[in-house]
Amino acid sequence: MIGYYISLALRSLRGTPILSALMIAAIAVGVGASMTVLTVNYMTSKNPLVDKDDQLYAVQLDGWDPNEAYNRGAKGNQMPWQLTYRDATALLRSDIPKRQVAMHKFGFTVSVDDAEVRPFVAVTRVTTRDFFALFDAPFQYGGTWEKSADESPKQVVVLSQATNEKLFGDKNSVGEVIQLNGEAFTVIGVLKEWNPSPKVYDLNNGHFQDSEELYIPFGLHRKFEIHSWGNNNGWNSDIAKGLTGYEAHLHSESVWIQYWVELENGAQKREYEEFLANHIRQQKEQGRFQRPLKFALSRPSEWLVMNEVLDHDSRVLAWCALAFLLVCVVNAIALLLAKFLRKAPEAGVRRALGASRQSIFVQHLMESSCIGVLGGIAGIGLALLGLTGVRVLAGGGFDRVAHMDWAMVFAAIGLAIVASLLAGLYPAWRISQTNPSIYLKTQ
Amino acid sequence: MFELKPMLSALWRNKVSAMLIALQIALTLAIVSNAVTIIQERQEKIARPTGIDVENLIAVTFMPVPADYDMAGAVAADLDLMRSMPGVVDASVTNQAPISGSGSASGYFFEPNQEVGDITANYYQTDPHFINTLGLKLTAGRNFREDEMDILGPHQNYNADVAIITQQFADQAFPGESALGKYLYGGRDDHPTQIIGIVERHIGAWPGWSLAGNVVFYPVMAEGNHKRYLVRTEPGQRDEIFKQLEDKLAERDPQRVIHLETTENHMKETYSSDNLMIKVLTLVVSLLTFIVALGIVGLTIFWINQRAKQIGIRRALGASRRNISRYFLLENSIIAITGLVLGGTAAMLINGLIASNFSQPLLSLPMLITCALVLLLVSLLAALVPALRAANISPAMATRSV
Repeated sequence: MIGYYISLALRSLRGTPILSALMIAAIAVGVGASMTVLTVNYMTSKNPLVDKDDQLYAVQLDGWDPNEAYNRGAKGNQMPWQLTYRDATALLRSDIPKRQVAMHKFGFTVSVDDAEVRPFVAVTRVTTRDFFALFDAPFQYGGTWEKSADESPKQVVVLSQATNEKLFGDKNSVGEVIQLNGEAFTVIGVLKEWNPSPKVYDLNNGHFQDSEELYIPFGLHRKFEIHSWGNNNGWNSDIAKGLTGYEAHLHSESVWIQYWVELENGAQKREYEEFLANHIRQQKEQGRFQRPLKFALSRPSEWLVMNEVLDHDSRVLAWCALAFLLVCVVNAIALLLAKFLRKAPEAGVRRALGASRQSIFVQHLMESSCIGVLGGIAGIGLALLGLTGVRVLAGGGFDRVAHMDWAMVFAAIGLAIVASLLAGLYPAWRISQTNPSIYLKTQ
Repeated sequence: MFELKPMLSALWRNKVSAMLIALQIALTLAIVSNAVTIIQERQEKIARPTGIDVENLIAVTFMPVPADYDMAGAVAADLDLMRSMPGVVDASVTNQAPISGSGSASGYFFEPNQEVGDITANYYQTDPHFINTLGLKLTAGRNFREDEMDILGPHQNYNADVAIITQQFADQAFPGESALGKYLYGGRDDHPTQIIGIVERHIGAWPGWSLAGNVVFYPVMAEGNHKRYLVRTEPGQRDEIFKQLEDKLAERDPQRVIHLETTENHMKETYSSDNLMIKVLTLVVSLLTFIVALGIVGLTIFWINQRAKQIGIRRALGASRRNISRYFLLENSIIAITGLVLGGTAAMLINGLIASNFSQPLLSLPMLITCALVLLLVSLLAALVPALRAANISPAMATRSV
C-alpha cells in the first residue's frame, strides 16, 4: 500500500510541477541554510579532548592587581587566563598530578645545512615534556625529552609532521640537527599529523589556528631569553629587587604561561586543590596575591565555553537559521494546503468508494514525505555549497570548521523529513476530514 | 466602499491559509528587521576612519637567522634602502603593524605614583618618520626630533621622555583642556613622559577593541629577535613596490626571513568575521523575502482559481476589472498588515533577547517601520500579477457548469 501511495504522490507532484518545485525549493533552502550554520556551530563547539574531559584541567590563579579584577576582553571568570613564570615553575614542583604542562607560544627561524630549503619562521611551543601524552599528540618517530630538559637547557626539538616533511621529506629524522635562530638543535621526535580543532590547549590567538610546527623543552628560557609570542599581560611594573634584564621579566607579575594538569580521580583533584590553596597562602605571606584567595581548575569543555569559542555571532546565526527554516515550513504548509484542497474532489471520491480517513491521511502524508526527501537531498547539496561559501568568505579562518561529517549529513536528512512531516501533518489531516457527499453532489 | 465586509467574510472562510501567510510575513519582519540592524552596525564599524593611508601601506616583518645579529645597524641600513627606493614615500621602524590585530597596550596615569584610575591605550614604538609614513595629521604640537630617538637593548626598561598621542586619547585623559605639554605616567611610577604632539586620529592595532582609537607613539627602537617596518608608497605603486621590497631587503642581507603584508590585507582579515556576518545575513534577508513573495504568489493564484466562478459572477453583475484587481490587492494588504503588526511586536521581543544575551545592536523604530513598509510593498507586488490575471476572468465563467 505504501508503495502505491508513493507512486500516487510522485504522479501528483508531476501533475503540478511549478507548485511542487516551489515546495521542494522552500524545504531545500530552509534545510540548506540551517544545516550550513548548524554544521559550522557543531564543528566549532566540538571538544577535541572529550575522552579526557573528566581528567584534564586548565589552571588559573588570581594573583592580579589588588585594585581591580582581571577583565581583559570582558569574558571568562575574572581571573588571568595564564600564570606568571614564577608560579608556573613553583607548581611544576608538585608531584600530585599524573601529568602537568607549563607552556607558551614562541617562534624561531629554522635553517638546515641543505641549501635547497630556504630559512623560514616556525611557530614553536615551549613546553614541559608531558605535553604530548597529556593532550594525546601521537608520535610517528622518536618521543619526548627527559624530565631534566624541563629544568636545565637541552637543545632538542620535536617536529610536527608537516615540518618533518618540509625539512626531511617525511623520513625518520630522529638524530638530525637543525638550526633554530642559528643554534644547533637535535631532533628527538616527530609527531603524526595532529591538529585539534578548536585548538583547545591554547585559545589565546585564534580558536582554529594550526598546531605548532616545533616543540622545545621548558628549560631553555634563560639560555635563549625566550619571550612569549602569545599573550603577555601585566599590571605591576615594579621590578623585583636587584633584578635586571631577562631575570626581571621571569620574576615579574606578567602572566604568559599556560598551565594544564591531568588528575586521575576526585581524591587527586581535592589534593591538588589543597596544594594550590597552600601555594597562594605561602605567596600571600611574601606580599604577593593580595586579592581574595581564588583559583580555578576548568575542564576542556568548560574552558571552551569560557573562551567563547562559539561566539555571539554564531549563536545569533543559529537562531536566525532555525527561524528561517520555520518560515520555510510555514510556507510549505500553506502551499501543501492549497494543493491538497484543490484535490479535495479526488479524496471525496476515494472516501465514497470506501477509503478510511486514516488511509486518506497516510496517502497525503506520503506525498509530503516525498517532498521532504527531495527537499532534504537538495538541501544537503545547498548546505555543502553554503559551507564552501563560508570557507571562501572567511578567507581561511574556517577551513577546519566548515565541513560536514556523516552525523551532520544524517541530521540534515532527518531535519528535512521532520520539517516536511510537520508541514504535511495539518494539510493531510484537513483533507482526510473531507466530507465525500459535497463532491459527489456537484459532479 | 472597499467591499470590506464581504472581503472579511471570504477571508474568514480561508482563515487557515490567510493566517499562514500572515505568520510568514510576521516571522520575516522579525528576522529581517533584526538582521538589517546588525548588517548596518557592522557596515558602520568597518567604515570607521582609520586615520591612515590604508591603500598605500605595506608592513614588513623580519627575523634574523644568526644568533648574534646587529639589529640597530640592520634597521638603519634597511630604512635608508627603503626610503631611497623610487615610489616609496617614507618608511618607519615600528613594534606593531596598524589594524593587524597584534600589538601592545599599556595603562596610563596622569599623576605620578598612582595605582588606580588609569586609561589604557595602544602604543607604537616608532621613529620621527611615522607621521609621514602612516599618513597621519598632526593637529597640535610638533613631531619627534631625530635626537629624541632612543635605542634599547633587549630587556632594557624604557622610560620615555616624549610622546605623541591621538586626539581621542587626549580628550579622555584631559577632558576639557589641552593635553599638549601635560605628562603621562606608568603605574606606581614617577617618570614623566611629556605629550609634545597630538594627531587627529588613528584606530590603532585592534579596530574591534572597545578603546580602539586610544593610541600613543614613542620615539624608540627596542632590539628584539624580530623587527617591523611600515612602508608607504606613492598611490598606485603599492603592488609594484611589494614585489621589489622582499628581493631588495634579502639582497642587502640574506641572513633573515622576511614577511610582507599589505595594510589593506590586514584590514580585510581583521574585519573578516564582520564581513562574513554581513554577507550571510544579506543572503538570509534576500532569500527570506523571496520565499515569502513566492508563497504569496502561490496562494493568491490558488484562491483566484478557487473563486473563478465567483469572480465571473461579479463581473457579470457589473464589477469592473479594476474592482476585481483591487479586491485581491486589498485582501492581501489586510493579511500583510496583520502579519506586520504581529511581526513588529515579535521583532522588538527578539531584539531585546539578542541585544541583552548576544551583545547585538538595538532595533530602532524608524528601522522597523522601514522594513515593514518594504515588506508590505513586496507583498503587494507579489499579489499584483495574480490579481491582474484575475481581472481577465471572463464574465462567461459565471454561466458555465453550475
